[in-house]
Amino acid sequence: MELKFENLTKRFKETAAVDGVSFAFTGGVYGLLGVNGAGKTTLMRMLCTLIRPTSGTISWNGRDIFAMDTQYRALLGYLPQDFGFYPDFTVDDYLGYVASIKGLRPAAARARSGELTRALGLEKYRSRKMKKLSGGMKRRVGIAQAMLNDPRILVLDEPTAGLDPGERIRLRNLLSELAGERIVLLSTHIVSDVAYIANQILLMKEGRIVRAGAPDVLTAALPVRVWRCEVARGEVERCLRKYRVSNVRTTPGGAQLRVLSEGTPLPGAAPEAATLEDVFLYHFGEKGDGEDASL
Amino acid sequence: MLRYELKKVFGRAGGRVALCLLATILVGVSMVSVNSTPWVNERGEEEYGFAAVRRLRAAQKAWTGPLDEARLRAVLAENARIAATPEARSDDWHMTNIAYGWRQGIEPIRDLLNMAFADGFREFDFYRADSLTPDDAPMFYPNRVRLLREWLADEGANLLSEPEKAFLIARYEALETPLDYDYVHGWTRLFRYLPSIQMLTLLVLGYLVAGVFAGEFQQRADAVFFASKLGRSKASRAKVGAGVVIVTAVYWAMVLLFTAFVLLCFGADGALCPVQASFEGWKCFYNLTNLQKYLLMAMGGYLGSLAILLAEMWASAKSRSTVLSATIPFVLLFAPSLLLNLSSVSVDKAVGLLPFALLDMDTTLSAFNYLYDLAGKIVPSVPLLFLLYGAAALLLPPLLYRTYRGSEQA
Repeated sequence: MELKFENLTKRFKETAAVDGVSFAFTGGVYGLLGVNGAGKTTLMRMLCTLIRPTSGTISWNGRDIFAMDTQYRALLGYLPQDFGFYPDFTVDDYLGYVASIKGLRPAAARARSGELTRALGLEKYRSRKMKKLSGGMKRRVGIAQAMLNDPRILVLDEPTAGLDPGERIRLRNLLSELAGERIVLLSTHIVSDVAYIANQILLMKEGRIVRAGAPDVLTAALPVRVWRCEVARGEVERCLRKYRVSNVRTTPGGAQLRVLSEGTPLPGAAPEAATLEDVFLYHFGEKGDGEDASL
Repeated sequence: MLRYELKKVFGRAGGRVALCLLATILVGVSMVSVNSTPWVNERGEEEYGFAAVRRLRAAQKAWTGPLDEARLRAVLAENARIAATPEARSDDWHMTNIAYGWRQGIEPIRDLLNMAFADGFREFDFYRADSLTPDDAPMFYPNRVRLLREWLADEGANLLSEPEKAFLIARYEALETPLDYDYVHGWTRLFRYLPSIQMLTLLVLGYLVAGVFAGEFQQRADAVFFASKLGRSKASRAKVGAGVVIVTAVYWAMVLLFTAFVLLCFGADGALCPVQASFEGWKCFYNLTNLQKYLLMAMGGYLGSLAILLAEMWASAKSRSTVLSATIPFVLLFAPSLLLNLSSVSVDKAVGLLPFALLDMDTTLSAFNYLYDLAGKIVPSVPLLFLLYGAAALLLPPLLYRTYRGSEQA
């Protein structure tokens, strides 16, 4: 089981959204981290045969995915970032329709749809119209449709967008359970979404994969150290300008900063273990956006 | 898959509103067709509705049979008898209405006489028959050809080429006479109102099918669709199929329901009579029966609608815009009217080959300038239209399928 892309490039006019990237997925959960505009969605769309690369190849077990056509898409489950649906369909109608275009027989589709709605807590909403569902419910239906054909390759683009913290945790747990014998590629700009469940992290920046590896390998390879510093409240602004600060916590006497620095940034600074968020901050800096990326 | 595609169209509020609109159109046009047929009673008052239609039919059925010299003489004699009555000669419109009521049985034949003995091919004098005598009857059929010849030599001289003129005269001369005459009000009502049903249905269908392909992009459901196993094959074919099924089912439901209503109200008498045996078809150079004309109108309308709406669906698959694509039927329906105002022979000929001509078949069948010289052979527009749009209806579905299945995400 290998999904591999080599020298993959996608250009939109003069802009390279994905710029000569190569990687091979073999199994497990992969987290694709990057700020908005890093090229994550474009890469995923190519992996889902929604757009063709300008150059480079994508292969499944050595065969070109575009040449495989329906054979490849039979292995695929995809939840797009901007998950669209038919507002007047009920949940059952929607899943029934997606099952039909995935080539499932009606009896198998009904059984699978039943399993997934139970697993995702959608059972009592099956006859509710899609337009009447909350954002979290819609996202769950999105996961269900992606899982209908029990895909070998599951591509989820920002699956936690719009979910509350509880739903995000439930979704993370679900994805861990689903991983099994398949490739799960999870794109996000929210570090905590992948920190717990991804076996491998790919950091994407300006169309390129700048780092890839297991979370502990990435944190170990961080070329700076992480420090905890206690500062007076009036010093916070100066420190934010001078250092990469991944967290500021107000304390009664001032503030506690989490600083990325090669040497001791301030007198009394204590070294701390690096996390994936520190890695993210190091690579994406203040350009990091989103709720966690701002750190 | 097809079931779900149909549900996408008719499951939304807009789809249901469109169906209600179609039902309103059907009822409205049907009512207009019934209420536009008056019967003038013995008191000279107009009556409308189903009873009026029954009385008119009974009066006109009395004159059915071959429209030969003997029958024409009888009609002229009856007309002269009525014209000589004090009621007909009165200046009081109420009295003349009473006289008109007596003439209703022979009125369609009287109209034919008015045209056959008109001063010119394009003239019509409602009282011309009143100045004829039974001895004029033998000139009834020869006059039809004579008036055409005179018009072609004079007013129509520059509008048509010599081979085209010869073609029209040959068609006129090929008409089998005497014409078989019957009460044909059911068919003439159909011919008058069917194009309205066809065109209004086309416009509503234009709205319904606009979203079959573009809707997927507008609802951002295209990513899941095209990433699915059958998204670029069977599911795309199901969309094309849904478009064709919607057009076919809605079009034929409207046309057949309207036909059934009109023929049940007015009667289907005269189905096998030539169209020339009625006021509306007297000048027609296509030698057809009423049934053949109806089939041409119904089939032509279907073919025209199918071709226009397939083109619209192709545009919606390409542009991903429902608004842009839904304007196509409007443009194709209304542009010909503007083009015909240009009064150019070549523009007129081009208009005769637009799909609009299939939907306005009644006009197309009587348009003398819709003739085409193909390698020295004069061909009228109707067979060309069927050939042209039959080919389009066959070629557009695979083109639509290929365009849609090859779509990439923006």
